[in-house]
Amino acid sequence: MKTNRPALFVTTTVLLTLAIAQPARLSAESAAQWTVQVSKVNPGAVGLTPSFQVAIYENLLQELSKTKRFNGVLRDGDQKASNATDLLLLNTVVEKYTAGSETRRAVTTVTGATKLIVHTQLSTPDGKIILESTVHGNVRFMGGNLRATHNLARNIAKTIKKSSMPEPPSSVVTKAMNSTSSDGVVVVAFP
Amino acid sequence: MTHTAIPCYCKPSDHLLKRSSLIAFLILVMACGTGAFAEDQLNNLPSSLPATHLLGFAGARNNSKGTLSIESDALQFKKKGKAAMQVKIASIHDLLLGDLSRQVGGVPVTLAKAAVPYSGGRAVSLFTHRKYDTLTLEYVDAEGGLHGAIFELKKGQAEGLRNELLAKGAQASNAGNEPTKQTAEASSENK
Repeated sequence: MKTNRPALFVTTTVLLTLAIAQPARLSAESAAQWTVQVSKVNPGAVGLTPSFQVAIYENLLQELSKTKRFNGVLRDGDQKASNATDLLLLNTVVEKYTAGSETRRAVTTVTGATKLIVHTQLSTPDGKIILESTVHGNVRFMGGNLRATHNLARNIAKTIKKSSMPEPPSSVVTKAMNSTSSDGVVVVAFP
Repeated sequence: MTHTAIPCYCKPSDHLLKRSSLIAFLILVMACGTGAFAEDQLNNLPSSLPATHLLGFAGARNNSKGTLSIESDALQFKKKGKAAMQVKIASIHDLLLGDLSRQVGGVPVTLAKAAVPYSGGRAVSLFTHRKYDTLTLEYVDAEGGLHGAIFELKKGQAEGLRNELLAKGAQASNAGNEPTKQTAEASSENK
Protein backbone atom coordinates (compact mmCIF):
# COMPACT_ATOMS: atom_id res chain seq x y z
CA MET A 1 0.00 0.00 0.00
CA LYS A 2 1.38 3.34 -1.08
CA THR A 3 1.20 6.09 1.53
CA ASN A 4 1.09 9.74 0.62
CA ARG A 5 3.67 10.93 3.15
CA PRO A 6 3.63 14.71 2.42
CA ALA A 7 -0.18 14.80 2.68
CA LEU A 8 -0.09 12.99 5.99
CA PHE A 9 2.55 15.40 7.24
CA VAL A 10 0.53 18.46 6.27
CA THR A 11 -2.67 17.04 7.81
CA THR A 12 -0.87 16.27 11.05
CA THR A 13 0.64 19.75 11.14
CA VAL A 14 -2.76 21.36 10.60
CA LEU A 15 -4.39 19.23 13.30
CA LEU A 16 -1.60 20.00 15.74
CA THR A 17 -1.84 23.71 15.00
CA LEU A 18 -5.58 23.66 15.61
CA ALA A 19 -5.14 21.68 18.83
CA ILE A 20 -2.62 24.20 20.13
CA ALA A 21 -4.49 27.28 18.92
CA GLN A 22 -7.90 26.32 20.35
CA PRO A 23 -6.98 26.42 24.08
CA ALA A 24 -5.02 29.61 23.49
CA ARG A 25 -8.12 31.22 22.03
CA LEU A 26 -10.20 30.01 24.96
CA SER A 27 -7.77 31.38 27.51
CA ALA A 28 -7.71 34.70 25.66
CA GLU A 29 -11.49 34.82 25.92
CA SER A 30 -11.51 34.13 29.67
CA ALA A 31 -8.78 36.72 30.20
CA ALA A 32 -10.87 39.37 28.46
CA GLN A 33 -12.11 41.26 31.49
CA TRP A 34 -13.40 44.61 32.60
CA THR A 35 -11.29 47.27 34.21
CA VAL A 36 -12.90 48.85 37.26
CA GLN A 37 -12.45 52.37 38.54
CA VAL A 38 -13.36 52.87 42.19
CA SER A 39 -14.94 56.27 42.84
CA LYS A 40 -14.51 58.15 46.09
CA VAL A 41 -17.05 56.97 48.65
CA ASN A 42 -20.09 59.21 48.96
CA PRO A 43 -20.68 59.69 52.72
CA GLY A 44 -24.36 60.48 52.20
CA ALA A 45 -26.13 62.30 55.00
CA VAL A 46 -25.26 59.95 57.83
CA GLY A 47 -22.39 61.88 59.40
CA LEU A 48 -19.74 59.38 58.41
CA THR A 49 -16.30 60.28 59.76
CA PRO A 50 -13.72 61.04 57.04
CA SER A 51 -11.42 58.30 58.30
CA PHE A 52 -14.18 55.76 57.60
CA GLN A 53 -14.75 57.24 54.16
CA VAL A 54 -11.06 56.89 53.30
CA ALA A 55 -10.82 53.42 54.88
CA ILE A 56 -13.76 52.07 52.83
CA TYR A 57 -12.19 53.44 49.63
CA GLU A 58 -8.74 52.00 50.31
CA ASN A 59 -10.08 48.64 51.48
CA LEU A 60 -12.27 48.39 48.38
CA LEU A 61 -9.22 48.86 46.15
CA GLN A 62 -7.39 46.10 48.01
CA GLU A 63 -10.26 43.63 48.09
CA LEU A 64 -11.22 44.12 44.43
CA SER A 65 -7.62 43.45 43.39
CA LYS A 66 -7.72 40.20 45.36
CA THR A 67 -10.78 38.90 43.44
CA LYS A 68 -8.78 38.76 40.15
CA ARG A 69 -12.07 39.40 38.41
CA PHE A 70 -10.81 42.58 36.77
CA ASN A 71 -8.03 43.43 34.36
CA GLY A 72 -7.13 46.38 36.52
CA VAL A 73 -8.42 48.27 39.52
CA LEU A 74 -8.02 52.03 39.08
CA ARG A 75 -8.28 54.83 41.60
CA ASP A 76 -10.61 57.80 41.40
CA GLY A 77 -9.14 60.39 39.02
CA ASP A 78 -6.58 58.03 37.51
CA GLN A 79 -5.66 59.21 34.00
CA LYS A 80 -5.33 55.60 32.80
CA ALA A 81 -9.12 55.35 32.93
CA SER A 82 -9.45 57.59 29.87
CA ASN A 83 -7.56 55.02 27.77
CA ALA A 84 -9.18 51.93 29.26
CA THR A 85 -11.52 50.21 26.79
CA ASP A 86 -13.80 48.09 28.96
CA LEU A 87 -14.27 50.33 31.94
CA LEU A 88 -16.72 49.98 34.81
CA LEU A 89 -17.29 52.54 37.55
CA LEU A 90 -17.92 51.46 41.12
CA ASN A 91 -19.96 54.00 43.05
CA THR A 92 -20.60 53.55 46.76
CA VAL A 93 -23.07 55.59 48.80
CA VAL A 94 -23.27 55.16 52.57
CA GLU A 95 -26.88 54.66 53.63
CA LYS A 96 -26.54 53.94 57.34
CA TYR A 97 -23.75 54.29 59.84
CA THR A 98 -23.81 53.41 63.51
CA ALA A 99 -20.66 54.47 65.29
CA GLY A 100 -19.71 51.80 67.80
CA SER A 101 -17.27 51.58 70.68
CA GLU A 102 -14.56 49.01 71.15
CA THR A 103 -14.67 49.50 74.92
CA ARG A 104 -18.43 48.97 75.06
CA ARG A 105 -18.05 45.82 72.98
CA ALA A 106 -15.34 44.56 75.30
CA VAL A 107 -17.35 45.30 78.45
CA THR A 108 -20.86 44.29 77.42
CA THR A 109 -20.36 42.05 74.33
CA VAL A 110 -23.87 42.80 73.09
CA THR A 111 -23.70 46.57 72.60
CA GLY A 112 -21.27 48.93 70.89
CA ALA A 113 -21.32 47.33 67.44
CA THR A 114 -20.12 49.46 64.53
CA LYS A 115 -22.48 49.05 61.59
CA LEU A 116 -22.28 50.21 58.01
CA ILE A 117 -24.81 49.79 55.22
CA VAL A 118 -23.90 50.98 51.74
CA HIS A 119 -25.53 51.00 48.34
CA THR A 120 -23.05 49.97 45.70
CA GLN A 121 -23.43 50.29 41.95
CA LEU A 122 -21.29 49.00 39.13
CA SER A 123 -21.98 50.85 35.89
CA THR A 124 -20.46 51.63 32.52
CA PRO A 125 -19.21 55.19 31.82
CA ASP A 126 -22.36 55.85 29.76
CA GLY A 127 -24.55 55.07 32.77
CA LYS A 128 -25.69 51.50 32.08
CA ILE A 129 -25.99 49.71 35.42
CA ILE A 130 -24.31 46.31 35.46
CA LEU A 131 -24.74 45.43 39.12
CA GLU A 132 -26.49 47.03 42.05
CA SER A 133 -26.74 45.87 45.64
CA THR A 134 -26.94 46.87 49.28
CA VAL A 135 -24.08 45.55 51.39
CA HIS A 136 -23.49 45.43 55.15
CA GLY A 137 -20.26 45.64 57.12
CA ASN A 138 -20.21 45.28 60.90
CA VAL A 139 -17.92 44.76 63.86
CA ARG A 140 -19.80 43.10 66.70
CA PHE A 141 -17.23 41.54 69.02
CA MET A 142 -13.50 41.73 68.41
CA GLY A 143 -11.49 44.42 66.68
CA GLY A 144 -11.40 48.17 66.27
CA ASN A 145 -14.12 50.29 64.71
CA LEU A 146 -12.27 50.64 61.40
CA ARG A 147 -12.50 46.88 60.95
CA ALA A 148 -16.10 47.45 59.84
CA THR A 149 -14.76 49.12 56.69
CA HIS A 150 -12.59 46.10 55.93
CA ASN A 151 -15.52 43.72 56.41
CA LEU A 152 -17.70 45.92 54.23
CA ALA A 153 -15.14 46.05 51.40
CA ARG A 154 -14.72 42.27 51.58
CA ASN A 155 -18.49 41.79 51.34
CA ILE A 156 -18.70 44.12 48.33
CA ALA A 157 -15.87 42.21 46.62
CA LYS A 158 -17.63 38.90 47.38
CA THR A 159 -20.90 40.19 45.89
CA ILE A 160 -19.10 41.27 42.71
CA LYS A 161 -17.21 37.99 42.49
CA LYS A 162 -20.40 35.93 42.79
CA SER A 163 -22.34 37.98 40.25
CA SER A 164 -22.42 37.13 36.58
CA MET A 165 -21.24 40.12 34.62
CA PRO A 166 -21.78 40.56 30.87
CA GLU A 167 -18.80 40.22 28.60
CA PRO A 168 -16.95 43.42 27.82
CA PRO A 169 -17.80 44.97 24.40
CA SER A 170 -14.27 44.54 23.03
CA SER A 171 -14.34 40.85 23.88
CA VAL A 172 -17.68 40.41 22.04
CA VAL A 173 -16.22 42.08 18.94
CA THR A 174 -13.09 39.91 19.09
CA LYS A 175 -15.21 36.81 19.45
CA ALA A 176 -17.33 37.74 16.42
CA MET A 177 -14.23 38.39 14.35
CA ASN A 178 -12.70 35.09 15.42
CA SER A 179 -15.83 33.13 14.53
CA THR A 180 -16.05 34.68 11.03
CA SER A 181 -12.36 34.13 10.35
CA SER A 182 -12.44 30.53 11.57
CA ASP A 183 -15.27 29.72 9.12
CA GLY A 184 -13.28 29.91 5.92
CA VAL A 185 -9.60 30.24 6.55
CA VAL A 186 -8.48 26.66 7.02
CA VAL A 187 -6.60 25.83 3.88
CA VAL A 188 -5.01 22.45 3.51
CA ALA A 189 -2.70 22.12 0.57
CA PHE A 190 -2.08 18.67 -0.77
CA PRO A 191 0.84 18.09 -3.08
CA MET B 1 -5.09 101.27 109.95
CA THR B 2 -2.85 101.89 107.02
CA HIS B 3 -2.83 104.94 104.88
CA THR B 4 -1.18 105.37 101.56
CA ALA B 5 1.08 108.33 101.54
CA ILE B 6 0.32 110.59 98.65
CA PRO B 7 2.83 113.29 97.85
CA CYS B 8 1.43 116.81 98.09
CA TYR B 9 2.11 117.53 94.37
CA CYS B 10 0.09 114.46 93.33
CA LYS B 11 -3.72 114.29 93.25
CA PRO B 12 -5.38 110.96 94.28
CA SER B 13 -6.85 110.57 90.75
CA ASP B 14 -3.30 110.73 89.27
CA HIS B 15 -2.22 107.87 91.50
CA LEU B 16 -5.14 105.71 90.33
CA LEU B 17 -4.35 106.54 86.72
CA LYS B 18 -0.74 105.42 87.18
CA ARG B 19 -1.84 102.19 88.80
CA SER B 20 -4.36 101.29 86.11
CA SER B 21 -1.88 102.05 83.33
CA LEU B 22 0.63 99.79 85.06
CA ILE B 23 -1.94 96.97 85.19
CA ALA B 24 -2.79 97.53 81.53
CA PHE B 25 0.90 97.39 80.65
CA LEU B 26 1.34 94.14 82.58
CA ILE B 27 -1.67 92.58 80.85
CA LEU B 28 -0.22 93.60 77.48
CA VAL B 29 3.16 92.06 78.33
CA MET B 30 1.51 88.85 79.50
CA ALA B 31 -0.63 88.61 76.35
CA CYS B 32 2.40 89.08 74.12
CA GLY B 33 4.31 86.51 76.13
CA THR B 34 1.50 83.95 75.85
CA GLY B 35 1.24 84.51 72.09
CA ALA B 36 4.97 84.14 71.64
CA PHE B 37 4.98 81.00 73.78
CA ALA B 38 2.15 79.47 71.76
CA GLU B 39 3.97 80.27 68.51
CA ASP B 40 7.16 78.85 69.96
CA GLN B 41 5.35 75.64 70.88
CA LEU B 42 3.99 75.34 67.34
CA ASN B 43 7.41 75.84 65.81
CA ASN B 44 9.11 73.50 68.23
CA LEU B 45 7.22 70.37 67.18
CA PRO B 46 9.45 67.35 67.39
CA SER B 47 11.13 66.63 64.05
CA SER B 48 9.61 63.15 63.96
CA LEU B 49 6.56 61.82 65.73
CA PRO B 50 5.93 58.20 66.65
CA ALA B 51 2.91 57.06 64.66
CA THR B 52 1.04 53.95 63.62
CA HIS B 53 0.18 53.70 59.96
CA LEU B 54 -3.34 52.29 59.83
CA LEU B 55 -3.72 52.13 56.05
CA GLY B 56 -3.13 53.64 52.64
CA PHE B 57 0.21 55.50 52.77
CA ALA B 58 2.54 55.05 49.77
CA GLY B 59 3.02 51.30 50.01
CA ALA B 60 3.59 51.11 53.77
CA ARG B 61 2.20 48.03 55.52
CA ASN B 62 -1.08 48.41 57.34
CA ASN B 63 -0.93 48.72 61.15
CA SER B 64 2.82 49.26 61.12
CA LYS B 65 4.58 51.42 63.68
CA GLY B 66 7.15 53.99 62.72
CA THR B 67 7.91 57.69 62.74
CA LEU B 68 6.17 60.42 60.82
CA SER B 69 8.21 63.46 59.87
CA ILE B 70 8.36 66.37 57.48
CA GLU B 71 11.46 66.29 55.27
CA SER B 72 11.80 69.48 53.20
CA ASP B 73 8.75 69.27 50.90
CA ALA B 74 7.58 65.75 51.73
CA LEU B 75 5.74 63.92 54.47
CA GLN B 76 7.74 60.86 55.36
CA PHE B 77 6.86 57.66 57.20
CA LYS B 78 9.78 55.53 58.30
CA LYS B 79 9.76 52.12 59.87
CA LYS B 80 12.78 51.20 61.93
CA GLY B 81 15.42 49.61 59.74
CA LYS B 82 13.41 50.05 56.55
CA ALA B 83 13.47 52.56 53.71
CA ALA B 84 11.34 55.65 54.23
CA MET B 85 8.16 56.15 52.25
CA GLN B 86 7.16 59.67 51.37
CA VAL B 87 4.53 61.79 49.73
CA LYS B 88 4.96 65.35 48.45
CA ILE B 89 3.20 67.82 50.72
CA ALA B 90 1.93 69.73 47.69
CA SER B 91 0.01 66.64 46.55
CA ILE B 92 -1.96 66.49 49.81
CA HIS B 93 -5.34 68.05 49.20
CA ASP B 94 -7.17 67.24 52.40
CA LEU B 95 -6.18 66.81 56.02
CA LEU B 96 -8.64 65.80 58.69
CA LEU B 97 -8.32 65.17 62.37
CA GLY B 98 -10.19 62.66 64.43
CA ASP B 99 -9.81 60.61 67.54
CA LEU B 100 -10.38 57.04 68.42
CA SER B 101 -10.31 54.92 71.52
CA ARG B 102 -8.70 51.50 71.42
CA GLN B 103 -8.20 48.62 73.79
CA VAL B 104 -4.53 48.26 74.61
CA GLY B 105 -2.42 45.24 75.50
CA GLY B 106 -3.14 43.06 72.51
CA VAL B 107 -3.46 39.28 72.76
CA PRO B 108 -1.83 38.85 76.23
CA VAL B 109 -4.27 41.25 77.89
CA THR B 110 -7.22 39.74 76.00
CA LEU B 111 -6.23 36.26 77.24
CA ALA B 112 -5.72 37.55 80.78
CA LYS B 113 -9.18 39.14 80.68
CA ALA B 114 -10.69 35.89 79.48
CA ALA B 115 -9.01 34.04 82.35
CA VAL B 116 -10.59 36.18 85.06
CA PRO B 117 -13.47 34.19 86.63
CA TYR B 118 -17.12 35.29 86.55
CA SER B 119 -16.44 37.46 83.48
CA GLY B 120 -14.45 39.84 85.63
CA GLY B 121 -12.25 40.58 82.64
CA ARG B 122 -14.97 42.77 81.26
CA ALA B 123 -14.47 45.22 84.10
CA VAL B 124 -10.76 45.31 83.30
CA SER B 125 -11.67 46.47 79.77
CA LEU B 126 -12.98 49.68 81.28
CA PHE B 127 -9.43 50.65 82.20
CA THR B 128 -7.42 49.11 79.38
CA HIS B 129 -8.30 51.57 76.66
CA ARG B 130 -6.43 54.59 75.42
CA LYS B 131 -7.41 57.55 73.29
CA TYR B 132 -5.46 58.43 70.17
CA ASP B 133 -5.56 61.17 67.58
CA THR B 134 -6.01 60.20 63.96
CA LEU B 135 -4.72 62.14 60.99
CA THR B 136 -6.52 61.32 57.76
CA LEU B 137 -4.98 62.64 54.58
CA GLU B 138 -6.01 62.50 50.98
CA TYR B 139 -3.38 62.91 48.28
CA VAL B 140 -3.01 62.33 44.56
CA ASP B 141 -0.28 60.33 42.84
CA ALA B 142 1.60 61.26 39.66
CA GLU B 143 -1.20 59.82 37.51
CA GLY B 144 -3.93 61.71 39.28
CA GLY B 145 -5.22 58.74 41.28
CA LEU B 146 -6.71 59.55 44.67
CA HIS B 147 -5.12 57.96 47.74
CA GLY B 148 -6.24 58.07 51.33
CA ALA B 149 -4.08 57.37 54.37
CA ILE B 150 -4.80 57.18 58.08
CA PHE B 151 -2.26 57.60 60.84
CA GLU B 152 -2.72 57.10 64.56
CA LEU B 153 -0.77 59.50 66.78
CA LYS B 154 -0.52 60.19 70.49
CA LYS B 155 -3.24 62.39 71.92
CA GLY B 156 -2.63 66.05 71.09
CA GLN B 157 0.04 65.54 68.42
CA ALA B 158 -2.06 65.40 65.27
CA GLU B 159 -3.19 69.01 65.35
CA GLY B 160 0.39 70.35 65.48
CA LEU B 161 1.42 68.15 62.58
CA ARG B 162 -1.63 69.21 60.60
CA ASN B 163 -0.84 72.88 61.16
CA GLU B 164 2.75 72.34 60.11
CA LEU B 165 1.65 70.55 56.93
CA LEU B 166 -0.78 73.36 56.15
CA ALA B 167 2.00 75.90 56.63
CA LYS B 168 4.17 73.95 54.16
CA GLY B 169 1.58 73.98 51.41
CA ALA B 170 -0.81 71.12 52.06
CA GLN B 171 -4.46 71.87 51.45
CA ALA B 172 -7.42 71.16 53.65
CA SER B 173 -11.10 71.49 52.88
CA ASN B 174 -11.69 73.33 56.18
CA ALA B 175 -8.30 75.00 56.67
CA GLY B 176 -9.71 78.22 58.07
CA ASN B 177 -11.99 76.57 60.57
CA GLU B 178 -11.39 74.62 63.69
CA PRO B 179 -10.06 71.17 62.84
CA THR B 180 -12.73 68.58 62.27
CA LYS B 181 -12.74 66.30 65.27
CA GLN B 182 -14.64 63.11 65.08
CA THR B 183 -15.44 61.33 68.26
CA ALA B 184 -16.88 58.07 67.09
CA GLU B 185 -17.59 56.82 70.59
CA ALA B 186 -19.10 60.06 71.76
CA SER B 187 -21.43 60.24 68.77
CA SER B 188 -22.51 56.67 69.36
CA GLU B 189 -23.22 57.40 73.01
CA ASN B 190 -25.40 60.35 72.03
CA LYS B 191 -27.65 58.06 70.02
